[in-house]
Amino acid sequence: MTRRAARQVLLILSLALLPAVVQAVYMRNRLSWRQPATADEVSVQEAKSWGREAMWIDARPGTEYEKEHVPGALPLSTDEWDNLLPAVLNSWSPERKLVVYCSKQTCGASREVARRLREEAGLKNVFVLTGGWEAWKSSEK
Amino acid sequence: MNTKINTLAIIVALLAGSHAALANLKWEQTQIELHPALGETKAVGSFKYHNDGSQPVYIKSVRTSCGCTTTSPHKEVIQPGESGEITATFNIGSSTGLQQKTVEVQTDDPKTPATVLTLRAIIPQAVELRPTFVYWQNGDPAKPKTITVKLAKETGAKNLKVTSSSPDFTAKVTSIGANEFSVEVAPRDTSHAASSTLTIQPENGGKPVFATARVVGPGTTSR
Repeated sequence: MTRRAARQVLLILSLALLPAVVQAVYMRNRLSWRQPATADEVSVQEAKSWGREAMWIDARPGTEYEKEHVPGALPLSTDEWDNLLPAVLNSWSPERKLVVYCSKQTCGASREVARRLREEAGLKNVFVLTGGWEAWKSSEK
Repeated sequence: MNTKINTLAIIVALLAGSHAALANLKWEQTQIELHPALGETKAVGSFKYHNDGSQPVYIKSVRTSCGCTTTSPHKEVIQPGESGEITATFNIGSSTGLQQKTVEVQTDDPKTPATVLTLRAIIPQAVELRPTFVYWQNGDPAKPKTITVKLAKETGAKNLKVTSSSPDFTAKVTSIGANEFSVEVAPRDTSHAASSTLTIQPENGGKPVFATARVVGPGTTSR
């Protein structure tokens, strides 16, 4: 009797979870802000291993940058490109590797900033941080 | 007892699945591409939706990807059979080229709890530069480097005005074709670190664009 009741409880829980499981499988890619890793991406661990060679670029909106950012990072968003770019270029030197990051809310921004740095400013060694700001925050815990 | 538990199991399962089956918010399109004309200050796109289901859908939040994009006030509840739209306005500001802004709409529709709407705007440039940055390393020969400038026809300008913020650099403008110029930038010498912002503008006025020229000193990473 007890075993039967336990089976029934398990059945209830399984059935109740079924829609959530179906939804999780069906929706798996809909909410994801991650894109497949590409050659120009770099992980937090690797970027951190570059030490002072890494130049961190924060592509999030200014308000988010002001709240918190990677120590030493410079802000550079497409909204304020003309105003912010000179400071980046004046801090840059040929041996440095640029690591551009954004966040869940501004997922495409780092790619766009990286593209413009490469194509418009002609800079080399421009990377997009895999996982963005959230990945960097996690690595600090 | 068993019958009661079986009935309860069925009810729980049905309740969990019912809203998913009945709520159905459909978007006419989730991506819009806009081509605003030169000088326009805003790019506006409307994303239309329709509730195809038999349950109301609640819009929990509408979030834009940046402060430069706003959305019109939206309905909180979309009744079955009801249509509507969310209008996204991208304030162009100083942005140029391809701009991609997103609006994330979260609803209580379990089938599609979040939809990302994308506004792609291709903003024409009155003045286009390549590259926007030229540099020399300490001790390099002080040879000129070229920035190519293209003016949009709409500017109506026949010439270009270039000024350097620093006397350490010179800039010489040469016409190389219809609405196309080369700007030869050179440092006076490369023995010391220097930088300059070059302001480039159609001679008849209009929005200026900027380039940066630098002589890069040694040991920048040890700062």
